[in-house]
Amino acid sequence: MQKVEPSRDSFSSRALLFVRTKISPMTLFWLVIISILVLPIILFLAVAFSPKLLDQGPEWFTFNSFKAAADPYFLQSIWHSFVMGVVSSLLATAIALGVAWIVLRTNSAARKVWSLAIFALLLAPSYLIALGWERIFERAGVLNIAGIDLPFIRDLLYGPVGIAMILTFKGIPFAYLVISNAMRGLGEEFEQAVRVHGGSRIAAFKMMSTLLLPALWSGIAIVFAESISDFGVASQLSSPGRYSVATFTLYRSVMSLPVSFPLCAAISIILLMLIILALFAQSRALRGRSFRVLSGRTRPITRKKLSKTGAFSANTAIYGLLFVTLGIPVFGAISASMIQGLGTVLANYQFNFDNYFRVIKSPLLRAPLLFSAEAALITATVAVILAAISSRLLVSTKNGLGKKFLDFFLLAAVGLPGIVFAIGYIFAYNLPLAQKYGFHLYGTVTLLVLAYIATALPSTTRSLVGNMNQFQESLSEACRVHGSNGIKTWLTVVLPLISRPLLAAWCLTYCGTLLELPVSQILFPPGHAPLAVGIDHALGNYDFGGGTAMEVFAIISALLVVAVAFGLYEKLAPIGWKQLGRARS
Amino acid sequence: MSNGHLVKIEDARKNYGSLAALDGLSLTIEPGQFMVLLGPSGSGKSTLIRSLAGIEKFDAGSIFLDENQVNRGPVNVAPEKRNLAMVFQDYALWPHLSAFENIEYALQRRKLPKDISKQKVNAALNRVGLSSKGKNYPHELSGGEQQRVALARAIVADPALLLFDEPLSNLDADLRERLRIEISTLTREIGATALYITHDQSEAFALADRIGVINHGKLEQVDLPEVIYERPINRFVANFTGIAGTFTGQVKQVLKASCIVALGEDQLEVRHTVGLEVGQSVDVLIRPAATSFQNESENRIGAEITDIAYRGRGYEHAITTKYGTLTGVFDTRSHARGGTISVSIDPDRCIAFRSETK
Repeated sequence: MQKVEPSRDSFSSRALLFVRTKISPMTLFWLVIISILVLPIILFLAVAFSPKLLDQGPEWFTFNSFKAAADPYFLQSIWHSFVMGVVSSLLATAIALGVAWIVLRTNSAARKVWSLAIFALLLAPSYLIALGWERIFERAGVLNIAGIDLPFIRDLLYGPVGIAMILTFKGIPFAYLVISNAMRGLGEEFEQAVRVHGGSRIAAFKMMSTLLLPALWSGIAIVFAESISDFGVASQLSSPGRYSVATFTLYRSVMSLPVSFPLCAAISIILLMLIILALFAQSRALRGRSFRVLSGRTRPITRKKLSKTGAFSANTAIYGLLFVTLGIPVFGAISASMIQGLGTVLANYQFNFDNYFRVIKSPLLRAPLLFSAEAALITATVAVILAAISSRLLVSTKNGLGKKFLDFFLLAAVGLPGIVFAIGYIFAYNLPLAQKYGFHLYGTVTLLVLAYIATALPSTTRSLVGNMNQFQESLSEACRVHGSNGIKTWLTVVLPLISRPLLAAWCLTYCGTLLELPVSQILFPPGHAPLAVGIDHALGNYDFGGGTAMEVFAIISALLVVAVAFGLYEKLAPIGWKQLGRARS
Repeated sequence: MSNGHLVKIEDARKNYGSLAALDGLSLTIEPGQFMVLLGPSGSGKSTLIRSLAGIEKFDAGSIFLDENQVNRGPVNVAPEKRNLAMVFQDYALWPHLSAFENIEYALQRRKLPKDISKQKVNAALNRVGLSSKGKNYPHELSGGEQQRVALARAIVADPALLLFDEPLSNLDADLRERLRIEISTLTREIGATALYITHDQSEAFALADRIGVINHGKLEQVDLPEVIYERPINRFVANFTGIAGTFTGQVKQVLKASCIVALGEDQLEVRHTVGLEVGQSVDVLIRPAATSFQNESENRIGAEITDIAYRGRGYEHAITTKYGTLTGVFDTRSHARGGTISVSIDPDRCIAFRSETK
């Protein structure tokens, strides 16, 4: 008979505790989190209060930077950001809920198209979507060339309506991923229970929405944070004369000389406070509730067969959404990559593929794509591993200090605009102290990838929290009491059960990193220009055709990676993994 | 010889905020013994079994498995190293694994050759009557089948300690009874020590070698099922292990092992607890088995039949007396609702406790 481990005397107990504290995987996890997330954020935010700490001014402690940030110009832009965040997060989450229901719970033909298109939408940076719309409606744009001028729509586009619209488009896939992953784990017995107890279809939908509340709130929180810290839309549609948002004014502050880093830090802290308020509202609304509905007893759902009218409405809704979110921007990008001289006085409007051949042949245009693909591969893999651990910690029933600490810093990282986050990295890793202890990371590919991981971690974690919330604790407890240690429990039960959401999170991170702009621009090492920097350089050199052709190549390559990843999953994953959350036709 | 652990829990304490889930509880389970902890919700039984599994930790107190202490200060022997298995209330079957794979998983710690492992899993499936369902996934099984898989998973590796966390509470009565028998026989077959927690007294009496009654994080009484039933140490134990009803009266006379209690115009002879005196106000707790409609005893009172329930082998009646209501009064034939009748009370199966009402 196998016996239990022998008891340990007090000395060996202490020794064991010491060794565990030193080398446990969780200690390693915390070290990574502190290095890539906590230190850069703390050091940067500290500049707002103590400029002298990082040689940014004479005072050790001051609120002067906040006084500067209280200028009506800055305050108005912060208010605009808040309004845009609220509008886009509510709209995006509501639309995503409807789409998730059509895609996962009905036999609508459009669902298959959406499942493919979602990654294209995730992949497209906000500035590309905005550019696509601009290209269609701008003066001397595509519609102008076709003899159509719509100044009313153009005016709307370059103002709050346009900004909110693009931010909503950009937010929909984030909210959709969170909601759909949660909806997959939600068996249909809850809806059936409503119907057999006299509830209407609407009542059943309301019940489902209530059970999805943790995911809905996560969706709202993610989209709100993404919208507030977004720079891509701001860079295209925001302007001081019309409607300026905080990231735009922040960008102008960073780019104007002399740069006031304490002021940037102060504005960032105010943005952060807005996000904390949103999360506080989320927490108050849920009051600690989470609905653990994913278990061995959950039965697959049966798709609802739509009537002809229902199918027409559902398909129209999905295709219409895809048209405005993807169709117009894609048309804008492709037309720019194929029309020579669009928008210039020398335009001859010839259609050809010359720009694409140049990207393939020229190392200057090709190298950034390959470099970013490699960096995105590493970033996505590491970020998903860290996000899986982080999300598990965040949904843990133990309300420990570590959980609160992690929650705060993940939120802080979401709230910080990428450009200032990157500046925080420069501060942290270029400090004399870092150099003294041998951290010569500044100006290296390693630092760039670490910053990519850190910026990807918050949203990747948030996208997994909804699934982790549905994971019943007894499933991992059963592993432990039946002979598996913590690591084996993760490998054999936790990871398989969330394998599909993990894969989705990996693809999301890969696509996001591939076209990442602000961190790339600040931290790219000499000779290793990432894709966004390569595109920016091409556009800066008036090679619009080459730049947009690189964009199109990047999107196609990312879609291929996503298709291969899911194809391999369908081919190689065990049947048991694949059937989780799958609906019966 | 038993394969089971000797389990010793000493002075276990656990608080959730200001609530004491375990309040100095001590318990010993002999190797191979089937111990049932019986208690209401919130009494601390789940905390105890989860701490024994290693999923939770005591704030203070010790757990010994055989001679080995498995918790000392912050160092806790991991669940997987305690050589135990557990059947969960919600079954906790891994939804991405088939029934066969769920059971096989628990066998991995034994590091057996593949063919032997397969044989053992098939044997376990066979033991629980699911030899044809090995390839099915949890959602393709009924509730009873899922719990059988959980049972097979628990026994397949011949653990030294089997823990049962209210495993039958989600099942219907018929299935519960069948699975109870399977749990009882399979556990004894493998010779493991077993700790089973439940709030269902009939389950406890049917399964246990010994029963511990737990309340507010303390063990009220640990003994053989017969002793718990016949000689409950206090009112809580008596109440929680099943009574037909309670009458309040006054001690008229104290005899050697019993006393005469006056209930208004009637008087009953009942077994007394220590320290009762003449004139004292007492509550008489009457077991269902103490009641009968046979007229052979003089220890009886008049009643009216208020309800009847057919139980297959006979009828259970609810009756109303001048001193209160009694339920579960059994007879092989039915007595019409509203009819008057005289009910006999067996003195040895009703107990007088000092009254709590002033």
